[in-house]
Amino acid sequence: MWRISLAEAIAYRVSMLMWVLTTTFPLVSLALWSGLAASGPVGDYARPDFVAYFVAAFLIRQFTASWVVWELSAQIRSGDLNTLLMRPMSPMLYHAIQNLAALPIRVALALPIGVVVLVLAGSLGWPSPGSLALFGLSLALAWLLNLGVHVCIGCLAFWVTESTALFEVWLGLYLVLSGAAVPTSLYPAGLAEVVRALPFHASLGFPVELAIGRATGAAVTQGLALQALWAAGFGALGAWLWRRGVRTYEAVGT
Amino acid sequence: MSAPMVRVEGLRKRFSVPRREAGLRAALRALVRREFRVVEAVQGLEFSLAPGERVGFLGPNGAGKTTTLKMLAGLIVPSAGRVEVAGFTPSDRRPEFLRRVSLVMGQKRQLSWDLPAIDNFEFNRVVYEIEPAQYRRRLDELTALLDVGEVMRRPVRQLSLGERMKCELVAALLHGPQVLFLDEPTIGLDVSMQLGIREFIRRYNAEHGATVILTSHYMEDVAALCPRILVIDEGRLRFDGSIEALRRQIRPLRRVSVRAATLPAEPAALGRVVLCEGSRLVLDVEPERVPAVVQALVALPEAQDLAVHDAPLEEVMRALFGREEEAAEVG
Repeated sequence: MWRISLAEAIAYRVSMLMWVLTTTFPLVSLALWSGLAASGPVGDYARPDFVAYFVAAFLIRQFTASWVVWELSAQIRSGDLNTLLMRPMSPMLYHAIQNLAALPIRVALALPIGVVVLVLAGSLGWPSPGSLALFGLSLALAWLLNLGVHVCIGCLAFWVTESTALFEVWLGLYLVLSGAAVPTSLYPAGLAEVVRALPFHASLGFPVELAIGRATGAAVTQGLALQALWAAGFGALGAWLWRRGVRTYEAVGT
Repeated sequence: MSAPMVRVEGLRKRFSVPRREAGLRAALRALVRREFRVVEAVQGLEFSLAPGERVGFLGPNGAGKTTTLKMLAGLIVPSAGRVEVAGFTPSDRRPEFLRRVSLVMGQKRQLSWDLPAIDNFEFNRVVYEIEPAQYRRRLDELTALLDVGEVMRRPVRQLSLGERMKCELVAALLHGPQVLFLDEPTIGLDVSMQLGIREFIRRYNAEHGATVILTSHYMEDVAALCPRILVIDEGRLRFDGSIEALRRQIRPLRRVSVRAATLPAEPAALGRVVLCEGSRLVLDVEPERVPAVVQALVALPEAQDLAVHDAPLEEVMRALFGREEEAAEVG
């Protein structure tokens, strides 16, 4: 099963490379912020910190990415979902496996880019192995959370035509609030606390901070708990939307 | 008679379709208040099918036959009534049910485009949890019957429509379904491929005893393949029986044609004249009068090419749906 999805992912390797290259938004942020930090640290981020932060952000985004919202919306609208529904296997599980199967290729494509940037910036101190297990857990939760969001918004296609437009809204908020453009700890006090409690930060900012050793002690437990909470929340909502959606599904086409 | 494989009672399906006039103003108005029109796609169907039956759904486009098929397959939830297939309620979509049925859609590809068909089959083996030995045996049998031994190693995107359809059939049958739903399985195929697929389905049904439910655009498919026909029109069952019974009921007259040097002076006395032109005469004749008419025609000078036919199926369908002008749309 996994092997076949992997084979399918390999069949799409070129488009995947393009995709990896075009979702390098954190690397753009990196250029911007390291330029700003050249004359002195911004907040508690010096230039090497920005490099480490945004390379980690780039990689984590690659490893936790999902594209279920596009697939699911298209399948619901075109009736291609019929094929998945006829299999004795949950279509949700199918999508999750598809996403997982693409992971090795994403790692293979994205990791060298990250390493090159680190070498160029002369700060190959990262990754700090420290709590690799915790980081792995955080990464898995971020992946689940992303998948949950994708399923929730994708399922809206059962009722509205343009569910992917809603996803664009989510993506806009994500770029600003997740830490992909600005480390959320640099937000003004008061606002930072709110932003850091949102799912956007849980899906990117927190695992990044964990990776570069900026989250320690109680912050780790708290961050993981928030991730788990959001992942469970979106997972439950997604499951509910899916069950309701399938019952209203009209199986268009033939 | 054994317990039915498919049982349908009071089956209804109602869709709400958003309705809107053409034009910008209507589009803006629809933003504020959407209007819905209720479409009664299926209105109280009742029938049951025995295990191993081959049944064809006939009806014009929009008659509700595909909707019915989708309810039987569990893809859409009935608005009212009961459906039972192989002892399950299809819309529950339980894995045990899904492992017992299969749906092949002629207009939809179900195989992954970029992989060879054989990888798709392997995928199904895992998803349907087919025993390796059994998988091997069924794969050998199906690929031999459909002659796709070499074809299945090429990426699906490179296959011709007919080759792809054969691979779709293999994929659909690997798990040995008890009920096979076929929605337009031969659409777009050339005649020899249509015949091949038809023959395969008949053979598969005979050897494995699977119940086959078919909708097809090509009446020939249905006529050749299905001893029993359900005619569905406007969501209701209009006829349930054999194609012969359908023909007798709708168009009882036989079509008799002949060529002769001289034609009878008053052909209308023999039957309803369809064509009387030059040396050729075509008549529609009541069944009990056929022997007498044939005798009269044989006696004509230089009579040849005498033939007696049932009314063509297309005419039967056109008569049934009362749309003489339109091309008969059946499927």
